[in-house]
Amino acid sequence: MSISMALFSPPTHPPSLSPSISPKTHLTVKPHLSLRPPKTPFFLLSTTRSSADNGAGTSASAATALEPEAGQKVAEPPQPVVEKDASSAGANGSAGAAEAVEVKVVSKFEDPRWVEGTWDLKQFEKDGKPDWDAVIDAEAKRRKWLEGKPESSSNDDPIVFDTSIIPWWAWTKRFHLPEAELLNGRAAMIGFFMAYLVDSLTGVGLVDQMGNFFCKTLLFVAVVGVLVIRKNEDIENLKKLLEETTFYDKQWQATWQDETPGGSKNQ
Amino acid sequence: MASIALKSFIGLRQNTAEKPHLMTAQTKPSSLNPRKLRVVASKSSPRLTNRNLRVAVIGGGPAGGAAAETLAKGGVETYLIERKLDNAKPCGGAIPLCMVGEFDLPLDIIDRRVTRMKMISPSNVAVDIGQTLKPHEYIGMVRREVLDAYLRDRAQASGAEIINGLFLKMDMPRDGESPYVLHYTGYGGKAGAVGEKRTLEVDAVIGADGANSRVAKAIGAGDYDYAIAFQERIKIPDDKMAYYQNLAEMYVGDDVSPDFYGWVFPKCDHVAVGTGTVTHKGDIKKFQLATRNRAKDKILGGQIIRVEAHPIPEHPRPRRLSGRVALVGDAAGYVTKCSGEGIYFAAKSGRMCAEAVVEGSENGKRMVNEGDLRKYLEKWDKTYWPTYKVLDVLQKVFYRSNPAREAFVEMCADEYVQKMTFDSYLYKTVVPGNPWEDLKLAVNTIGSLVRANALRREMDKLSV
Repeated sequence: MSISMALFSPPTHPPSLSPSISPKTHLTVKPHLSLRPPKTPFFLLSTTRSSADNGAGTSASAATALEPEAGQKVAEPPQPVVEKDASSAGANGSAGAAEAVEVKVVSKFEDPRWVEGTWDLKQFEKDGKPDWDAVIDAEAKRRKWLEGKPESSSNDDPIVFDTSIIPWWAWTKRFHLPEAELLNGRAAMIGFFMAYLVDSLTGVGLVDQMGNFFCKTLLFVAVVGVLVIRKNEDIENLKKLLEETTFYDKQWQATWQDETPGGSKNQ
Repeated sequence: MASIALKSFIGLRQNTAEKPHLMTAQTKPSSLNPRKLRVVASKSSPRLTNRNLRVAVIGGGPAGGAAAETLAKGGVETYLIERKLDNAKPCGGAIPLCMVGEFDLPLDIIDRRVTRMKMISPSNVAVDIGQTLKPHEYIGMVRREVLDAYLRDRAQASGAEIINGLFLKMDMPRDGESPYVLHYTGYGGKAGAVGEKRTLEVDAVIGADGANSRVAKAIGAGDYDYAIAFQERIKIPDDKMAYYQNLAEMYVGDDVSPDFYGWVFPKCDHVAVGTGTVTHKGDIKKFQLATRNRAKDKILGGQIIRVEAHPIPEHPRPRRLSGRVALVGDAAGYVTKCSGEGIYFAAKSGRMCAEAVVEGSENGKRMVNEGDLRKYLEKWDKTYWPTYKVLDVLQKVFYRSNPAREAFVEMCADEYVQKMTFDSYLYKTVVPGNPWEDLKLAVNTIGSLVRANALRREMDKLSV
């Protein structure tokens, strides 16, 4: 839903793109994949992030290795400007800026709503109030664009956008609530099933189960498990995280560990 | 088994000049609890007759210079062996304010006083930090060749002998009384450029020879992970240089470095643009290009006058001490995470080690032993462990990924963060701070991280 919103919301005046690319359909999918030469994803995105990250992130970040000129040349021949990845609006803006391929012009991120280094909230208004979802989408697109084509940071044109202008409830509604619903659903399913199982095996009803220490422990474990392990990869990630927290300490204390007998030779 | 138990009582070996394998009588049930390694001090060490303690400091950088000066002032016969007296080390060159006071550095050593820093996120959100600095506070930018030479000259003035030579190897002593025999190639004088092999006998050695320390190899100190720092010195037009008058920049992002940051630091009349990495050393040139690209507008028209690279240790070596040989500075691996700062810690550790030697030898009158040198390690770990740990946690949390870096830059906009950061950087103490503000900071940090990661999930949806 949010993606279609993203595709529809920016007012696309007919871009000077090739007619084969319609601004609505698959703008973000096909050209993106065809443009990026499959380089080995040498950017090691954090391993503790979910695999979805790694999958999508690496293909995007592979592009960051390309120098700006190379990025231009990779573009489809008829169109000099074609980093038509996430930002359709961006492509619109940059279509004008693009020139012949050999000039080292890198199209910058442009968007009519991006004014003076921040999003102009007035342009996002819907029913008189800013449409925060659209702001979030726009910022995601901007970051996606920049990840693919890092720009020079400029003093004349400083970027001052701070994500905290988007109120907390907008974030909650969009990101936290769906996940909370999912997790509560899982917990409820597990809870119902386990209560039924325990009851059928031991004859202890739900109310009596709650009075039993062992059952309460099981309940605690189930809740923590649902909260902490959300994807299959999380189990590995948690183990790695735990090891990570003490790794540096161990490196420092290495000199205090009992030395191997080889050390006694030195004296 | 007996020898392992003996290890913790190496200190006692000094009073009796017995061979090691005869020490079985003295084995007490030593608790192999490393933290409580209580070694008896050298008060019972034999007095040296006719001479003072002889100590060699290998390496003449900040660590070596500071160590040599303290040793010489303490009455120890000091030799400082440095292979290249005019060495211009590739280095960021930033020193904290406390170093100027603690080491009595003259103000003309400092080329520039940086009072503002700009942190630039992957999406080019730029945050200025430094508004909380008081007028007398700054980060000093120095040229390493100037600083190193100054510290060495001061050591020489205090009585240390500077030897221009390249340390080759060292012969271990047979027992607690025998000297270490150092083999080095001496330059200068009749030896000329090729140098001639010489030896030097000393009672103790301080290894201050940097990231590729030969002393560390000689004592089997073990290896560490290291980052490669790559830097280009660029001379930019004057009007652009004016922007960097007292400003340093830090660029974060996957394009610039997957686990470190890119920087633009102003030097005397040019800027140093560089980056570093631990995990992707092979791509350092690409990272450097990306760093230059990000700073392109501000360094346009610049000419590269020098290219340099150097390893930076990421954590201390497994063994920083063996017998009467101690490692200090980069040789020991005392570079902080997150900021990669090493100059101050090198000088301070050199000084601390030298102080331990002076104290253990009672101003050069007695022989020292491993126990005396261990005191330096104890003091060091106790004083600076919190600093290192905090920086490690910061690196782990904020350098993980682009969303984390975006959150990091967002957090830097907060005044409390700026104040805490600078206070702890400039004075090298982990300041406790106001608990209410800390709580707000924690909440804001989590908020920033959550928002940035949520945006990242949106970004992923866009590409798929």
